[in-house]
Parts: sequence; C-alpha cells; structure tokens
Amino acid sequence: MNRRAIIGALMALPMISLPALAHGPSRQKITLTAEVAAPPEEVWAAIGNFQDMSWHPVVFSTEGVGGNDINATRVLTLGKEGGPTIDELLYKYSAEKMSYSYRIEKVDVKVLPVTNYSSHLTVKPRDGGGSIVEWRGAFYRGYPNNDPPEELNDEAAIAAVTSVYKAGLDALTERFGAAN
Amino acid sequence: MAFVTNQSSNDVSVIDLDNGKTLKTIPVGGKPAAVAVGPKGAHIYVVSPDSKTLSVIGRDTLTVTKRITLEGGPFGVAVHPDGRRVYVTDWYNARVFEVAPDTGQVLRIIKVGDSPAGIAVTPDGSRVLSADRDSDQVSVIDTDSGERIATVPVGERPFGVTIDTTGTRAYTANVGTNTVSVIDIANARVIGQVKVQERPYVVALTGGRGFVTNQYADTVSVFDLETLQPVGTIEVGEYPEGIIPSTDERRIYVANWFSNTLSVIDTQTLQVTAEYETGDGPRAFGAFLLAD
Repeated sequence: MNRRAIIGALMALPMISLPALAHGPSRQKITLTAEVAAPPEEVWAAIGNFQDMSWHPVVFSTEGVGGNDINATRVLTLGKEGGPTIDELLYKYSAEKMSYSYRIEKVDVKVLPVTNYSSHLTVKPRDGGGSIVEWRGAFYRGYPNNDPPEELNDEAAIAAVTSVYKAGLDALTERFGAAN
Repeated sequence: MAFVTNQSSNDVSVIDLDNGKTLKTIPVGGKPAAVAVGPKGAHIYVVSPDSKTLSVIGRDTLTVTKRITLEGGPFGVAVHPDGRRVYVTDWYNARVFEVAPDTGQVLRIIKVGDSPAGIAVTPDGSRVLSADRDSDQVSVIDTDSGERIATVPVGERPFGVTIDTTGTRAYTANVGTNTVSVIDIANARVIGQVKVQERPYVVALTGGRGFVTNQYADTVSVFDLETLQPVGTIEVGEYPEGIIPSTDERRIYVANWFSNTLSVIDTQTLQVTAEYETGDGPRAFGAFLLAD
C-alpha cells in the first residue's frame, strides 16, 4: 500500500464522538515483524529515538518534549503539514534492550479507529545475521458499545493498525535491505 | 487446576498447576474474559461479553453444560458461597445481574454505578461489591434485600475488586490513578491507598501481602497489607491481568494477556519460578483457581 492509499484509508472513516476512556469489551492485539539485513545497532539508531518518527512513510513530522525519558510526549503529524495528528506518550524505554513502549493519548477515531492503544517497538538480533524489528500493538476498537458500525468494529481496528505497522516495516526493509 | 479464559482463542485452558500441562481446552466462544470457580469447585462460570453469555462448565466433564444469555454487556462474575446465586456485572447498563445458575433465571437486577467491571462476594455471602469503573466508586449490595446500601468513592477507574478472607477489607485496582484503594467494608469507606505501577488491573491477597498486576508495566507490585508499604516488584510477561494465589499461599499465578503465558511466582522469594503456556489472549479475570 502506498503512502497516499494509507492516508486515504485512515481518513475515509466518518467522524463520531466518543466518551473518553470508554471501550468495547474485547481488547485486540497484533504483532508484525520485519527481518532486515542491517545489524540491530544500525536499525535502532534509525528508529530508537522517540522524538523522530521520520522513518515511517506516513509521518510528516514529529514534535515532542522530554526526549527518551519516561512520560516524554510527541505529536505525530500525518501526511502533510496541517494533516491529522496523534498525541503519544512514552512509558517504557530501554536502549540496552533496544525497545520502547508508548501509548496514544489522543487521536480521532476517524484517523485511527482505536481506543486505549498501546504499542511496543523492539529491535532484536536475527539468527544468521541482520535484525528482527518487532512492532506490537494492543488496543480496543473505536466504538465503545455493543454492535459497532462496520468502520469502527474490531476488524476495522485491526486492519488500520496493521496497515500502519506494515507501512513502517516495509519502509525499514527497503532502507536496510531484506535479510537473507 | 486453573481455568484460564483465552479471549482471542475463544476458549478456556484447564491447566494442571503441578506441571503446567493443559489438561483440556474447552471451546466457549464470545471472547471470554471473566471467570469464577464456584464453591467446592463443582461448577465454573465464564462470561463471554461478545455473545452476552454466562457459560456453566461442569467440573466432572470439563464441558459447557449450560449457556445463559444476559442481555446487555455482561462482564465480571462472582459466585455466592451458597452456590445458588451468580453475580454478573452489566458494563453497558450500570447494573448487576443476580442469576440462578440451576434454572438460568435472572432473579434480581441491581442498579449500580457506570461501567461496573470487577465484582466480588464476601465470604459470609452477605455483601456483593462491584467496581463501578466510570463512576470511580464501589457499590455495596446487601444480598438479602437485593438493594445497594452504600457507595464508596475510590481512586479513578477502578477495575478489579478483591475481598479478603475475613470479609473485612476490599481492594480495588484503579486504572486511572495507578493506585489501589483499601476499603473498610463494614463502614463503607476508604482507609488507605497504595501507589502501584502503570495500569493496575486487579489485586490478589495472600500471606499478609497484596499482589497487583500492572498491565502497562509488565509487572506485579507487592505490598504489605498491614502497613500498606511496598515490598517489591516482580517482572512478569506482557500485559499481566488475572492473578490468584494457591490455597497453600506459596504461589501466585498471573495470566499474561499479550505473552499467552501463566507466570508462577514464589510468594516467599518473589521470583518467577515457571511460565506455563495458555491459549491466545489469556485474561482470567476472577477466581480462576480450583483447589484440589
């Protein structure tokens, strides 16, 4: 999926207002990985800064405070200047383990149809050389009650997060080469 | 034995706690999360919010022997010590169902606060407590009258509620404030607060200590029940949720929702001594242990 198509998919959802902190009954989880040729240190150097998400093709800009300290925040602007934004907060960071965990503090469900979203990004050494980049997410669907509309159901939430992860991981594979 | 609800794989893993082997996987459906083993372990009750079902599992056959539909958003479950009444929170409609498991009849519907999640019954069966997540309170229900007799303001967004073996105190895990509130049940008031880590889910009590699963921190916080002071922190799997002690107080079992494992913790050394496999997305929200 190219960049425009992803933004299109994210933007195509209708606006709906939701009570804060509410969610549907069943939390979803996904894990996507990419195996790349570059060593973990090199990959981590590119993606390990919470304040720089420029490696992701959908992210236009990253603005934040607090560096890589716990409770650091960032605002991702998607697509273009003035595009939709996602507010995120860092709650775990380990340069040693090459892993950080963050959650979404604020996003419109028309941008990403999820609530209570948290995520982990990790780089690990790969057997036989190169790295494994693992991106995990846990979240509830965008609609907090029973009988969600199609665009805010569990499947829509999984599809949207999957497309974001896939776009990011595909970009890393392109940049660092696929592992052999 | 442990009865672990696997929300993503739609089943219940029956795990032998001596060796970690899965004795049986029971299909349930409807994204099961909450579970309660009934008195003497004859029946196990599982709530599936997606299918709005209370499933009754027979211990002898380890099969679902009855399915009871509860219209609304059934979520948390607890069993009265007489075994003839099962209490289920209704997340969407701010109420608690009192169900007769034998007949499948809803006996009474009791009004509580918004988004009730966890629920527990006192050992003498006189009170039911619901954690009303979006009202930041616990409702206290008199089981004789079927009336709510008190509400107790606690920390923000209480999720799980746990009552001690004497029925004196209750403990809520407050998602919004990363705290545990300690409730004096008879006087319906909070008498203490414990700071824990990110996104606490529920509290387990054993050997004079409280053990709290912290979903975002991937840890269990341990505190002293007398002084309410921290004792330690234990690293477990990812997204720890349901937690329960063994009857001999020597171990604590923790279901890790993201890792698909059950961590076994030694309550003396506070070390993880084993990791058992579960199904996909274990939540085990409730009294999921059946003593042999």
